[in-house]
Amino acid sequence: MKILGIDTATEAATCAVLDDDKLLGEIVFNYKKQHSVILMEMIDSLLKNLKLDIKDMDGFAVSEGPGSFTGLRIGAAAVKGLSQGTKKPFTGISTLDSLAFNLAYTQGTICPVMDALRGNVYTALYEFENEILVRESDYLVISVEELIGLINEKGCSVCFVGDGTLLHKEILKSAIPGARFAPLHLNVAKASSLAELGMRKLKNNEADDLKTFAPFYLRKSQAEREYDKKQKEIENGQH
Amino acid sequence: MEFITNSVSETIDIGKKIGGASKAGDIICIDGELGSGKTHLTKGIALGLGINEYITSPTFTLVNEYEGRLRLYHFDVYRIDDPDEIEAIGFDEYIFSDAVSVIEWSDLIRDLIPEEHIQINISKDSAKGDNVRRIKIGWQGKRYDYMKEIL
Repeated sequence: MKILGIDTATEAATCAVLDDDKLLGEIVFNYKKQHSVILMEMIDSLLKNLKLDIKDMDGFAVSEGPGSFTGLRIGAAAVKGLSQGTKKPFTGISTLDSLAFNLAYTQGTICPVMDALRGNVYTALYEFENEILVRESDYLVISVEELIGLINEKGCSVCFVGDGTLLHKEILKSAIPGARFAPLHLNVAKASSLAELGMRKLKNNEADDLKTFAPFYLRKSQAEREYDKKQKEIENGQH
Repeated sequence: MEFITNSVSETIDIGKKIGGASKAGDIICIDGELGSGKTHLTKGIALGLGINEYITSPTFTLVNEYEGRLRLYHFDVYRIDDPDEIEAIGFDEYIFSDAVSVIEWSDLIRDLIPEEHIQINISKDSAKGDNVRRIKIGWQGKRYDYMKEIL
């Protein structure tokens, strides 16, 4: 079974072709969001170099979110088009699951962090139990401070991964003793990681529906935003 | 600071000066009643950024994008009923980018506007003439101190 994976949820644009037991090829550009311009070219170039046609794919996997709103829509639109055109199934995979899977079999807690702007991160906590990736929290959009509180409360050994570490590494390092960080080559969204999770789902016949599939945006509600603002004003002594 | 302009072209000229000096990531809010000249001011900003495309108000598309010396995101949120609606199009990704963001009717989404921004209020001064406009410009944040030099 050959799967084409696409991840456009972060600054990285990436695509990969995975066969049952082998990663055939992968392209990652982790530079300036220009996904709508380069994504199709990347896929075309990847397939050409593998002497494959889009019709040779047995299915598709795409990052369903959370992540960049624009990026998620680009990925979803691209995969829906490819799936409809080739009449092959597709499945959405959480961007956070895929990042956590970059650190497969890491001991302790794996914590993907993605920049959600305004001092917030998209995150969730994971552990590997035997060979299975187990998510131990909800998908969250919280401030970096809240994340630090969450991890210190849990008192676990933790390894961070994702573009949120680029922004918040220093504060995470100083507030969480012993925190580890993914090496650079794993600290980026990888379509190969996503495609492997996607292949498992497709082999389980857990394809998504072309008509109803939508990105998972994960936003703070208006009420949460107002609460945050109030807290900030109190901190700044404006009350 | 406050300026009085006596014609559309004078209003555009003020915009040109702002656009000529704008830096990546700048957020410029423009408020004022219908027909006060918000879009003319934006046209000036676009010209200052080296954008010669025809600028129209994105009342229905919410945001238009233009390529110039810097990319310009031109928002018009007049039609918005709830800040959630504009947040849902990925507003944060636009304004926290390397582009210059101009937001007409920013008052309607006040909660979403970062503390540091340029605020421009434009109003008609009908007593002095049909084309006379009063343009008030202020800003929050040191990054915008360059405005002192250019106006």
